Amino acid sequence: MEFINGENISIVLFFVGVYGLIARRNIVKSIISLGILQVAIILYFISANSEAGIVPPIGDLSSAAAVADPLPQALMITDIVIGMGVTAASLTMFIHMYHRYGSTNWLKVKRKRMK
Amino acid sequence: MLPVLVGIPLLLIKFNTAKKIITIFQGFMVAASVLNFLYIKENGEVIQNVANWPNYIGVALRADLLAGSMVMLTTIIFMSMILFNTKKDFSDNMFLFLFTALEGLIIGIFLSNDLFNIFVLIEVATVIISILIMYKRDSRSIYDGILYLMINVVAMAFFLFGVGMVYKTVGVIDLYGLKEKIALLSGPESMILPYTFMITAISLKAALMPLFSWLPKAHGTPSAPSIISAVLSGLYVKNGIYLFIRIQDVFASQIDTSAMFIYMGLLTAVIGFLLAVVQDDIKLILAYSTVSQIGLIMMAVNLGDERAYWGGLYHVFNHAVFKSTLFLSAGVIVDHYKTRDACKIRGVYDQMPVISIVTIFAILGIIGAPFFNGSVSKYLISFGLTEFIGELGILIVNLGTVTIFVRFTEIFFGKSDLKKPSVDIYSTGVIVFLGILCFLGGIFGQVIISFLFNVSFDVEFASYIQKTASFIATLFLGYGLYYGFIKKINIAKFLQKHELTFNGVCTTIAIFFIFTLAYVRITH
Repeated sequence: MEFINGENISIVLFFVGVYGLIARRNIVKSIISLGILQVAIILYFISANSEAGIVPPIGDLSSAAAVADPLPQALMITDIVIGMGVTAASLTMFIHMYHRYGSTNWLKVKRKRMK
Repeated sequence: MLPVLVGIPLLLIKFNTAKKIITIFQGFMVAASVLNFLYIKENGEVIQNVANWPNYIGVALRADLLAGSMVMLTTIIFMSMILFNTKKDFSDNMFLFLFTALEGLIIGIFLSNDLFNIFVLIEVATVIISILIMYKRDSRSIYDGILYLMINVVAMAFFLFGVGMVYKTVGVIDLYGLKEKIALLSGPESMILPYTFMITAISLKAALMPLFSWLPKAHGTPSAPSIISAVLSGLYVKNGIYLFIRIQDVFASQIDTSAMFIYMGLLTAVIGFLLAVVQDDIKLILAYSTVSQIGLIMMAVNLGDERAYWGGLYHVFNHAVFKSTLFLSAGVIVDHYKTRDACKIRGVYDQMPVISIVTIFAILGIIGAPFFNGSVSKYLISFGLTEFIGELGILIVNLGTVTIFVRFTEIFFGKSDLKKPSVDIYSTGVIVFLGILCFLGGIFGQVIISFLFNVSFDVEFASYIQKTASFIATLFLGYGLYYGFIKKINIAKFLQKHELTFNGVCTTIAIFFIFTLAYVRITH
């Protein structure tokens, strides 16, 4: 069961996200796959060096044996915000594009654009 | 940071005063960056730790000679752009704010010394650029905008994953710290995967084959204001190359993939000019030519010969100058003729003589005419190519570049029935300034190189003459090739039709990743 820890799950999630980007032609599904990619990375950073039973790096730490690494957690807060911003921007653009082209399929939109 | 901080309050000020303040502020930025650069030349690198954390732990800004010169280039080009835009009617406060924010971000990327900082800055820059390229609200470019945003975010996701793996193994993400720690590793095995992730991402930002398809869309989209295309082509892809140099440097002690990137660069350059010659839209011609030049620079930087390396870096500067000139003048031409089709635009020399002459300067620069800046950098690059494939390769690339611009110069001849345009002193002035820079960069090439990079080379007179001769020969060959051959064959329509969809691009990212992984695995 040691295979199921944060890192390995995040690697699996990452490749699920990449698969979604490659194989799905619906634009909203591509945006969702982007979100999956970002979550996978966040999970990877946070669980990278963790063992069982570590405590958050806040407050009284003198009694704790192992403390979680605070640097990735700080970086990931930034990353979550960035992910939120990017998702918001891409969804707005998607709505715009839907009103313009009337389709949620990458191929159809490309064809209409190239005409 | 300063550009962003100044840009924000400007949203509140009335429009006319805002323009003047921005121009003055921009002049201040240019002066500051020049002073900074001179300081670095005297005293060596400057490392400033934000909030005074000890080295390698906090966020640091580093300005060495390369970064300092890039920052100078950035501020000078932004200054020119802002002057260019003074009379345009679409640049309201929001645009100026986004534009100066972009400048702050690009400078930040050049100066930052740790990987996460780079990631954050690039992500924000991606969002800002996708808004800026859709600024004129042409509805066709909504597709280009969303494609640009999503492709770059995917690339950055790869990058961040690589950073995570590096952090897990090594524990620092500061570039200097990384370099030290990686040299201590016993073998490259643990670094292969994160290196591949990061290099895939950076190759996409630097628009290498096969990951460049976002670039023509972003740079040539109908609603991008010309200064945005100029800044993107001139500066932002250079960011990609700059990061490429830094990352290769960090991993150099364990992993060395220069051989692969030489061939990638060559392939990019060739495919870039092939696709450029068949385009109809003048902005797309310029965008594909950027791809081709980036291939050339990538080749030069990876060759390992010192002269070729600095030649490639000088070409970065040259390319920024002449691409900006070309994009700006293309913008002016498009505004006047109301069409972007190169087959329909004729008689530019008749209508706008000053701009035509300056554009010809820039074209001579990019094809490497003697006395112009392109020739100095290409001359230096050719030193690095000793084997036959390399020499043949660079001949083919030069030929291709000439052919592209033969097509481009078609717009100068002939007559047009439009009436003469009104002369906008700011735009014309800026274009003339940049065009003259092309010329000066050629004559004073050695002086400039030794000033910027602290290295000096002698340009032997005899081989320069030989270069001139081969240049003239290439010119004739390119002319003949274009008129005799390409115009007859109708490949144009065929090549224009094939565009990758978003899924196609992601597939190519995945394929590039796997290919690089296999290559690094096999050679290490």
